[in-house]
Amino acid sequence: MSPADTTAPATPAGAAAVPAPGADVPVRHRGALARLVRAELALVLGRRRNLVLLVGLALVPLLLGVVLYLAQDTALAGQGPPFVSRVTGNGLFLVVASLFLCTPFLLPLTIGIASGDAIAGEASAGTLRYLLVVPVGRGRLLAVKALGALVFAAAAVLAIAVVGLVVGAALFGVGDLTLLSGSTVPLADGVLRVAGVVAYVGLSMTGLVAVGLFFSTLTEVPIGAMAATVVVAVVSSVLDQLPQLAAIHPALLTHHWFDFAEMLRVVPSADVLAQGLAVQAGWVVVFGALAWARFTTADVTS
Amino acid sequence: MDTTPVTPRSRVRAAWAVPAVAVVAVGAAFAAPPLLASADTAGLPTVQPDELVTRVLEAEPQALSGTVVHTARLGLPDLSLVQVGGADPVSLLGGSTTLRVWTDGEARSRVSLLGTASEYSAVTDGTQAWTYSSSDDEVVHYALSPQDAARAQALRDDPPTPPADLPTPAELGRQALERAQQDATVSVDAATKVAGRDAYQVVVTPTSTTTLVGRIVVAVDARTWTPLRVQVWSSDDAQTPALEVGFTDVTFAAPADSVLTFTTPPGAQVREVTVPLPDDATLAAHGDVPSTLPDDPADAPLPDGVTVTGTGWDAVVEVSDVDVAALLAGDPSAVASLPDVEKSFGGGEGANQLFDQFMGEGDGPPVDLDTATLYDQLTTPVEGGRALQSSLLSVLVLDDGRVLAGAVPVDTLRAVAGA
Repeated sequence: MSPADTTAPATPAGAAAVPAPGADVPVRHRGALARLVRAELALVLGRRRNLVLLVGLALVPLLLGVVLYLAQDTALAGQGPPFVSRVTGNGLFLVVASLFLCTPFLLPLTIGIASGDAIAGEASAGTLRYLLVVPVGRGRLLAVKALGALVFAAAAVLAIAVVGLVVGAALFGVGDLTLLSGSTVPLADGVLRVAGVVAYVGLSMTGLVAVGLFFSTLTEVPIGAMAATVVVAVVSSVLDQLPQLAAIHPALLTHHWFDFAEMLRVVPSADVLAQGLAVQAGWVVVFGALAWARFTTADVTS
Repeated sequence: MDTTPVTPRSRVRAAWAVPAVAVVAVGAAFAAPPLLASADTAGLPTVQPDELVTRVLEAEPQALSGTVVHTARLGLPDLSLVQVGGADPVSLLGGSTTLRVWTDGEARSRVSLLGTASEYSAVTDGTQAWTYSSSDDEVVHYALSPQDAARAQALRDDPPTPPADLPTPAELGRQALERAQQDATVSVDAATKVAGRDAYQVVVTPTSTTTLVGRIVVAVDARTWTPLRVQVWSSDDAQTPALEVGFTDVTFAAPADSVLTFTTPPGAQVREVTVPLPDDATLAAHGDVPSTLPDDPADAPLPDGVTVTGTGWDAVVEVSDVDVAALLAGDPSAVASLPDVEKSFGGGEGANQLFDQFMGEGDGPPVDLDTATLYDQLTTPVEGGRALQSSLLSVLVLDDGRVLAGAVPVDTLRAVAGA
């Protein structure tokens, strides 16, 4: 813990007096951090709004599976975006198709809500000042909040994946996986590759979590932080469409999101996957540092 | 905040310095590797053009795998709408396309054209070839008819004996260089790095000033003598090559067997295409290994209806009696004559009924919309036909069935057509 973490933000002129964390004596309590983590996870995963969001995401593979099941003998079967046309042949593809459909908007929206709410939500509810009284430094508090947002992002991706796997297996069965390259791999290998897709999509969201966390430290209006986070994702994908900006495309937050398809090629290229994850790591470092700088120096008045 | 600074200024500055450092560090981490990669190639001995060409001809075909980036700036109309459907070879006409290449250096190879969440693969094992498009789950299988396959096998087992005066690669290289130098100057440019490997550069500059091709630069690996990059520059743009195909990373090792084999995936549509093998007489005429290169390519026998006007880089090829409309329609007569073509969709019974309903109504041949649209997008109407003008090649399709093509401006083609 840096000494700055315990620096007291004094009262701005005119605002109500707020007790600041450990203004004089940094008090350490054994186990405080662990209790804070437990409380944060219980809050994130137990909050009704978050549960509704997870259920909403889980409905995507369910609805997609049911629609494809009902439509599989009609003229429209085999139509649609990549992967969707393959679901009827192999239920494993329901996981990939659902992730493919959720990645551009629904997943960033959900994650933007959770991460944008992390700090700003406490500020707007007036509970942030009490959190700062917990004998845990601001840097660690931010890390705990980040952990909560990351766990929620993982839960969101897993909700899609698990429901997709169950529904896909129940409606269409699972079998050997036909890759994008036309090769067919055994079921065990296929399951591993789909698990790789899920992991890559989950890790692809870490940059967005960091962005949301930073916005969340800027404001006391959670809806503003949430909207700004989603806007970053949307603007990034819009910029990704402009050929004039090809030079900056590789650095965009969303540019590598669909590289999860690499897992489904005959020889997945480690370079491509590493590049995508490295870009996310870059965004995490930059926006994590921004969030830390803002949160550890801000004067909290609510 | 000017009344009571609540957090000391120095403390604020120090805190905000962290993200500033993070931005610089992340930026440097992403920018540095390409800068470091362009290291010097000073250790390379210089070579003469003829020696370089000879080495390339002598080189054994290498087993390799790698990533190839194909960039075309042909000045064609924007085809981005065409590409929405997924990986498709049409995307090679414009913009950047990434391909993966595997070959065992002999007969077997796989080329994959990568799209976002899609892939178009072409696999060959020497006697047959398959293409697989992930976006429509369709396999096209190219194979010889059984009789032809037997004949090809016999030819392979008993190759025609080469004439005694088979030239050495050095001799062929010298001849190729002489041929190239008839119409162009051939030189060796400064060594460079392609895909992290030292490479020599051969530059072929046409002497003609009327052709669209400005120069062609081939980068050749200094150790295996495998061409690693080809750049074609048009005569009106000296800044960027109009066409560039090059490895961005390459490994000279035999790829895994599973990559080079193809098994039709279950459930995929399969279209069989039988490739005709030329009959024995034609094979005999061409089967002999030429002892020397023909003195003038124009002397080579041309198929009926094909004429070549002009020489060297200004040559214009003219093909007469081409039924463009039939070609665009996917050549219904040819399609009908193939009994193996499965005219069904993967979509099940309902889809086939729908297909039959639609197909039953029209009298005309079923027009492949994609091809026709592509043709309309690429070409512009000119007097007496349509023309395709790119920065390297022009094609003129006349209403009277003649098609002219050449690395010259469309006006030159029209002049040839009118003559």
